[in-house]
Amino acid sequence: MATVAERLFLRRRIVNGLSLVLSGLAALFGLFWLVWILWTTFTKGVDAMSLSLFTEMTPPPGQDTGGLLNAMAGSLMISGLAVLMGAPIGIAAGTYLAEYVNHRKLGEVIRFVNDILLSAPSIVLGLFVYTVVVRTTGGFSGYAGSIALAFIVLPVVVRTTDEMLRLVPIQMREAALSLGVPQWKVTVQILYRAAAPGIITGVLLALARISGETAPLLFTAFNNQYWSTDMTGAVANLPVTIFQFALSPFAYWNKLAWAGAFIITVFVLLVSVTARYILLRKKMSHD
Amino acid sequence: MTNASIAFTTAVPTATELEPRAAKLSARNLAFHYGDFCALKDINLEVPEKRVTSLIGPSGCGKSTLLRVFNRIYSIYPGQRASGEVILEGENILDPKYPLNKLRSKIGMVFQKPVPFPMSIHDNIAYGISHYERLSKADMAVRVEGALRQSALWDEVKDKLKQNALGLSGGQQQRLCIARAVALKPDVILFDEPTSALDPIATGKIEQLIAELKQHFTILIVTHNMQQAARCSDYTAFMYLGELVEHGVTSTIFTKPTKQQTEDYITGRFG
Repeated sequence: MATVAERLFLRRRIVNGLSLVLSGLAALFGLFWLVWILWTTFTKGVDAMSLSLFTEMTPPPGQDTGGLLNAMAGSLMISGLAVLMGAPIGIAAGTYLAEYVNHRKLGEVIRFVNDILLSAPSIVLGLFVYTVVVRTTGGFSGYAGSIALAFIVLPVVVRTTDEMLRLVPIQMREAALSLGVPQWKVTVQILYRAAAPGIITGVLLALARISGETAPLLFTAFNNQYWSTDMTGAVANLPVTIFQFALSPFAYWNKLAWAGAFIITVFVLLVSVTARYILLRKKMSHD
Repeated sequence: MTNASIAFTTAVPTATELEPRAAKLSARNLAFHYGDFCALKDINLEVPEKRVTSLIGPSGCGKSTLLRVFNRIYSIYPGQRASGEVILEGENILDPKYPLNKLRSKIGMVFQKPVPFPMSIHDNIAYGISHYERLSKADMAVRVEGALRQSALWDEVKDKLKQNALGLSGGQQQRLCIARAVALKPDVILFDEPTSALDPIATGKIEQLIAELKQHFTILIVTHNMQQAARCSDYTAFMYLGELVEHGVTSTIFTKPTKQQTEDYITGRFG
């Protein structure tokens, strides 16, 4: 006859085994779809790879040649400008939160509002910029696209800057202030340096986040079949091109859509790996 | 622990040997509040020039708070305020009109945890100096070397001045922080438990360094460690529950304290 302690132990082992199996299955279920998506993107994308993707413009319907050069260049321009607009404002706002209104009511309110912006559906941001910029300026433009994406960059950078600065030990501020250095100089010359890897990582992750955004561009930058670097007019970009080509009945357009999806995925992967690497190097230099 | 177990080194003079010095820094009727909580009550303390004064007492007695009043570092936190006077060279440094810039060039501080700035060893020292003076590269190099020599760190780092200061050991980092304070040529250096994060060997080096630094600077040190106070200070102030209980020559405080509370604390009955 088993003692009470033995029976309780057996019960715990059964519950433990059951939890392990269930959580393992849940993880597998999630991973299965992810791997499937990546695998499809990878195989279809590699099939569609060719040099002409990077040298030719997007083709008209029915044509069996052409590439994605104008879309890639447009995406780089729109995303680059979005980061140039969103990151400095985000870093400044994050600094304000961490260094000037930390632990105050105002800081809590701004953080809360920022979190709302962070989780706002991107199509809402696209519609907002459509109303405020596209309708008032009279047409689709690369600038409008950049502004819409900047609204996505902004809260990400605000949050990472805020969090990274708050991770810098308070003693670092006290040590610098005790030398008689004014607060703004301490922030710019000491704290930014200490938090730089984290802030750069935040900016890179924001770049990764916007490089696949389609909805905000649909209403703002729209698309352009031709090579155009004129940011005051509609500019070609990868996400909207993928959206348009994937839904079309033309086989070659479908193929280009897969190629575009693959290129964005690889780009996001590279940016994420770079961000990881920067953080890892920081960690190692501290140990 | 008994009185007898506290070893005095020959470096610490007795009351009769210690030549009296004028006060460099004096607290008068000083009180301090964290919001509504009164952390210091009516503190009157004279800190003699070019001597080491240690502040001892149990946790929460206000010794670190008192130290932090002397360079007004508390003022970065809302809700913390000091009243009364702290006189340095005839001026009340608590007067809001007394410039912080000037105060902090005259009173340096070394913290519990060594916090080198995320830059090279050379730049860690040069950073503070360049805030007050415009020096040529060569002059700066001389100042940096001087500060590192005074902090007994020069020989260990002279070949790697360009390397990141975060690569130094804990004890070296703390001496770098001392060099950073020394480099501004202050009158007073405040030490807030400077060795509590260090191993015994590094602690020994810092204590030795403090003994050397008192030739040039007035030193005020907060310590949890009574032996440390006995080893390296000329004067000791015992604090309890926000009040200054007793203050005098270290050897007297540790052998013939006049207050019962002091005796209870140094003999290990509480704290």
